[in-house]
Amino acid sequence: MIEVKDNTRQWQDGTSKNITFIVTKDCQLACKYCYLVGKNTKERMTWDVAKNAIDYILTNENEYREDSVVWDFIGGEPFLEIDLIDKICDYLKTEMYRRNHHWFNSYRFSFSTNGINYHEDKVQQFIKKNHNHLSIGITIDGTELKHDLNRVYKHSEKGSYKDVVRNIPLWLEQFPGAATKVTISSPDIPYIKESVLHLYDLGIKEVNINCVFEDVWKEGDDALFEEQLTELADAIIDMDLYCDHVCSFYAEFIGKPMDIERDNQNWCGAGKMLAVDAAGNFYPCTRFAQYSLRSKPAWIIGNIHDGIDQNKLRPFLMLDRTTQSTLECIDCEVASGCAWCQGENYDAADTHTIYQRATAICKMHKARVRANNYYWNKLFRKLEMEDQQEEFERQKAKVKGTIC
Amino acid sequence: MLTHLIILLDDTSTSYCHYEVTKAERRLIGIDDLKVGIRFAMKENLNVQFVFPDYKLPVEYLKAIDSIDHAKVMPSTCCDEADVVVLGGWDDEVLQGSTCIIRTNHDGLANHLSVVREWLNTINRLNVVLTDVETFKDDDVDSYRNTLESLTGMIVECYKSGKFIQLNLLTDRLRLTGMNNCNAGMSNITLAPNGCFYLCPAYYYENEADSVGDLKVGLVIRNQQLLRLDHAPLCRQCDAYQCKRCIWQNLHLTLDANTPSHQQCVVAHLERNASRSLLAKLKDNAITLHGGYEIEEIDYLDPFNNMNKWK
Repeated sequence: MIEVKDNTRQWQDGTSKNITFIVTKDCQLACKYCYLVGKNTKERMTWDVAKNAIDYILTNENEYREDSVVWDFIGGEPFLEIDLIDKICDYLKTEMYRRNHHWFNSYRFSFSTNGINYHEDKVQQFIKKNHNHLSIGITIDGTELKHDLNRVYKHSEKGSYKDVVRNIPLWLEQFPGAATKVTISSPDIPYIKESVLHLYDLGIKEVNINCVFEDVWKEGDDALFEEQLTELADAIIDMDLYCDHVCSFYAEFIGKPMDIERDNQNWCGAGKMLAVDAAGNFYPCTRFAQYSLRSKPAWIIGNIHDGIDQNKLRPFLMLDRTTQSTLECIDCEVASGCAWCQGENYDAADTHTIYQRATAICKMHKARVRANNYYWNKLFRKLEMEDQQEEFERQKAKVKGTIC
Repeated sequence: MLTHLIILLDDTSTSYCHYEVTKAERRLIGIDDLKVGIRFAMKENLNVQFVFPDYKLPVEYLKAIDSIDHAKVMPSTCCDEADVVVLGGWDDEVLQGSTCIIRTNHDGLANHLSVVREWLNTINRLNVVLTDVETFKDDDVDSYRNTLESLTGMIVECYKSGKFIQLNLLTDRLRLTGMNNCNAGMSNITLAPNGCFYLCPAYYYENEADSVGDLKVGLVIRNQQLLRLDHAPLCRQCDAYQCKRCIWQNLHLTLDANTPSHQQCVVAHLERNASRSLLAKLKDNAITLHGGYEIEEIDYLDPFNNMNKWK
């Protein structure tokens, strides 16, 4: 039987605490779809703030009982602060060991980078030193045309594709199973198929793609999106790429109705994560820091001096799917796999709440579901896996409880 | 469903709840706004509750007020014909058979139990509004529990003497089988002296810009569903039915109107548990309530800490 490659699970998925250092709010790029509306060169984390944050978190071990931890570094562009990051990671390792902390030897350092200075000596030295505990994702959006449509330098507006793609071979050599993250906004839609295939050509075998959650979609975008995903499905299946490549657009669990009680979990992990910024403020996730928010005040849940205000975390930990959803979403026949971002929900909400689900993505999700159905029907047929196809059809008619 | 309209007659109208009156200058609601507000209440079938300042109103206002069936909430310093008297302090005289509100912190309550005992023997109902819920600490639990326990003894004595006094903190829960919360923005709405509507007076005194419509455009309550019990994941699991479930305090402490703070939950559960104790004492004294009400024993003060059992 031919195996179909599935998405790679995140390291210690579901059992780890994700703690994010917003080390800088600066970036070389000014990507046109970037949700970070308040990027600047001034808010760089100092060592004092980083150390105090670490001391607070490790000292309060009882508050963080997850088996493992992912120490996440984001910006802006995190590798702009490689000296600070190196110092933070050294200190984390030393302190986790010295304190005999339960996270020692069960930790990762994780980075989402634009890849521009990936090759530089300091970054490479850091990678060599920490390689066994590293996850690094380089963001490349596809073909040069597609990538440079959005991912441009902040001053010159020149595309960044060439400066990123030169580092892809080195990255894949160091992290052979690495995945990239692609973001789709309205102008990108015509380039989806060729971009995914281009990334496969570059040697990237897992492409995780998301439509932005913001309300950017134009009339007809859903039809074009569906067409692109259908053509991509044809290419992946006709070229037998499904055996060892993954594109996150296609997943068996999406597009099913969801049970109001059994499938009532929240989608997003905000509140279970922790983020800290240069001012030493804690957030339920980075999307609640001021530089991420267009129209709402930052949702600060504490700081490195006073600790966490548990009251401000309560709304996050009480979230479920149905309470924040409209009746249309609750009754939706293709609800499963329809994602949301708690930060965008908050930012777009009519009042100061995280309990109003933004639905700008609705028509794009429905288009994805149609293309996804096409993908699996075609794939199962091709593989002559009729039994599995029948099972797939049965699943369409009944509730399935999987949420990724 | 909207059932009550609260009309603040003046910027200095007395506070009868958790909020402080932050305006010192007198500003009466415009007479035309008052009349339009009353017409609005008539058309929407709303019960009207006027909240008075501590001075006599002009005759034309009194005439307008009398044009609709209503209740008067008045400060003790100026309370002729009051339906509810807001006491200014522990030295205030209370009238036989009246309904009174006292705003105090929990220490103040603990230190004036003898006054409360006198009041309970005189008035029909006392609403105690704690003004320090937001700063209530876990260290305060024992002292508030003791205060409530003392109050249960007083109520039992009243009942034994045939006086069925009402004290909101303890007797309301006795007969409740479902939530009986403030329901600001759902069952009641406030008209302020500036002619705008607010979810409750607290929103007006905190920020006039937080209005939810006015007399010209009507009510515009965004995300009103989040004020409902079924959209409050923690509260809908709870049986501290007498809790105010104050959305204004929620917004202060948890930043979301549908999620109560640890403090509000703990205070409400101390009262709930004291009501349970009161019920037991009444039974011990052969005083039974029609309906056979029971309050279960629980082992938590904050249902958030019990979440794993139902989430």
